[in-house]
Amino acid sequence: MSQPMIQTQELTKVYGDITAVDHLNLTVNEGEIFGFLGPNGAGKTTTILLLMGLSTPTSGTAMVGGYDVVKDSKEVRKIAGNLPEFAGYYEDLTAKQCLDYIGQLNDLPRTEREKRITDLLADVGLTKWKDMKVEKFSRGMKQRLGIAQALIKNPKIVFLDEPTIGIDPEGTKELRDLIFRLNRDRGLTVFLSSHLLHEVQLTCSGVGIIRQGKLEETATVEDLTKGLTGKEGKSIEFKLSKVTPELLKELKGLEGVTSVTEENDRLYVYMTKDNTKEVSETITKHGAIILLMKPREYTLEEVFMKYYEGFKGR
Amino acid sequence: MTMAGIFTVCKKELSDHFGSKRYLILFALILLLSAVSAYQGAEYLRDNPQAGFLAIFSGARFGFSFVQLMVFFGPIVGLALGFDAINKERTSGTLSVLLSQPIFRDSVINGKFLAGAAALATLTVSTIGIMCGVVIPILGFGPTLEEALSIVLLSSLTILYLAFWLSLGVLFSVLTKKVSTSTLASVATWLFCSIMIPILAMLIANQMVPFSIELRPGGEGSEGFKPEQSPEFQALMQKRFVIESSISKLSPTQLYSEVASSILGATRVGGGFSLGFKAPTMFQSVTASWPSVVAIAVGLVVCFAASYMSFIRSEVRPGG
Repeated sequence: MSQPMIQTQELTKVYGDITAVDHLNLTVNEGEIFGFLGPNGAGKTTTILLLMGLSTPTSGTAMVGGYDVVKDSKEVRKIAGNLPEFAGYYEDLTAKQCLDYIGQLNDLPRTEREKRITDLLADVGLTKWKDMKVEKFSRGMKQRLGIAQALIKNPKIVFLDEPTIGIDPEGTKELRDLIFRLNRDRGLTVFLSSHLLHEVQLTCSGVGIIRQGKLEETATVEDLTKGLTGKEGKSIEFKLSKVTPELLKELKGLEGVTSVTEENDRLYVYMTKDNTKEVSETITKHGAIILLMKPREYTLEEVFMKYYEGFKGR
Repeated sequence: MTMAGIFTVCKKELSDHFGSKRYLILFALILLLSAVSAYQGAEYLRDNPQAGFLAIFSGARFGFSFVQLMVFFGPIVGLALGFDAINKERTSGTLSVLLSQPIFRDSVINGKFLAGAAALATLTVSTIGIMCGVVIPILGFGPTLEEALSIVLLSSLTILYLAFWLSLGVLFSVLTKKVSTSTLASVATWLFCSIMIPILAMLIANQMVPFSIELRPGGEGSEGFKPEQSPEFQALMQKRFVIESSISKLSPTQLYSEVASSILGATRVGGGFSLGFKAPTMFQSVTASWPSVVAIAVGLVVCFAASYMSFIRSEVRPGG
């Protein structure tokens, strides 16, 4: 039943002779946590700027929450919160004053503003420092303030551009929890851009991979991984009590096995067809005990590398 | 809605100005120098009772009069409130946060300009007010109605003049990416207008109408003949003065100085000797200097329009 929160059609942005965003067709559904993944300079930030109406597309269209980002950019900015990459803060103001200013710019009446500020400060854990000047804040505290600023308008969708850059692992985890909570409690759609695969994998339900301004793939994290393993046939990850050269030799000789690799204490067996039975029998025959055996799951990082290798080959 | 955005930005910027060390230092400096000049003006008035109340703004014998103060420091005061208005927010990353809010983009630049102008108006009005406050108890009398009107005119002119420099500063802040560049541009403009143009005017006048040797037949040794009194010399000086003052008019500081002097009915002192014209009525003087007022206003509008257009068209790009 969910209708698209973001829909772009052939969205293109050219800076001089660089095409930052290249005929992008993207759909993000309401209530989704969408991970926008790509290396630095792939066009992630430009896409967000276009979707927020901060930059005008060279060609193509985009709708956010049902509003055209060019014609109704002000309406878009009413329902869309944004935490830009390298967001700046009014260092001379206190956290509370910053939020108050942004609240005023969103035309929130005073009582409403004060209530939301109190709630948000608690949500992002800054209540204790609400009257401290932002210049004294740590990087992580500033980032949390940035999120509060993006949320004060009570948006339907929030854009987070590389939100975990420069934040320690603990801060990253807190941020992730906050995103989950907002998504669950308020049905907030989250558009999270990142070059950190692990982060996207842990946080997002849907993923878009962008490279050189082009969208390479959109899928759920699982589908993306499955799609890749499907192409490659089947692969199994083993942890064995011992690995002998004879075992390796015999495994490689089995029908359907394309390759066998050892990484750290793991053994990966790649097959064109499901031959799991014979593989495990061969292992036990050689006197090794199977400590762990599971179908191999690709991490997003591997997915990513595969895609990049693919691009290079094209 | 649009107005709400402007109002919010303006309110925030104004409280930034009033709390900023930069503004407070400039304010204190202008206030202090003005109070001193008012005191001197009062002394001058006691010696020359016929000069009239307005002399406190022009009649300083030592240091600066209020008008001279504004001629010299006015550009810096105006530019200082505008030169980093936009590019500071751009480099610090607050601009993209600001523009992500549901306001029109022009609310930002309009609000900032209005706040700057309001801060300058506060500075001007309170300075002039304090000058009067210093002087009236010393003299024991205040301005006449016509003089009071002149003071109002002088205040308005000063605010317009300072707002011109503000708009130029804002223009620099829109056109340059880095605050350091716009700072340099502001200082350069200030030096050019306050120091370079007068020197250039003198040099050009010197080239066009050189002092000819025939005018000084006696040389150093001769007595009884004073070349300064010969009609040729008078005519020559007059010519030089016209050239110099027309070139000087390129500088808004000069325009301001002229209009202010005519409002105050002060005699214009050029080239070290007085070309005193009789103090005209206020109406006459204002009419006569109207083109200069218009020139300042046009400068303001052009600078503001240029920064407005440039800012509206500018885009937020990745990396600021």
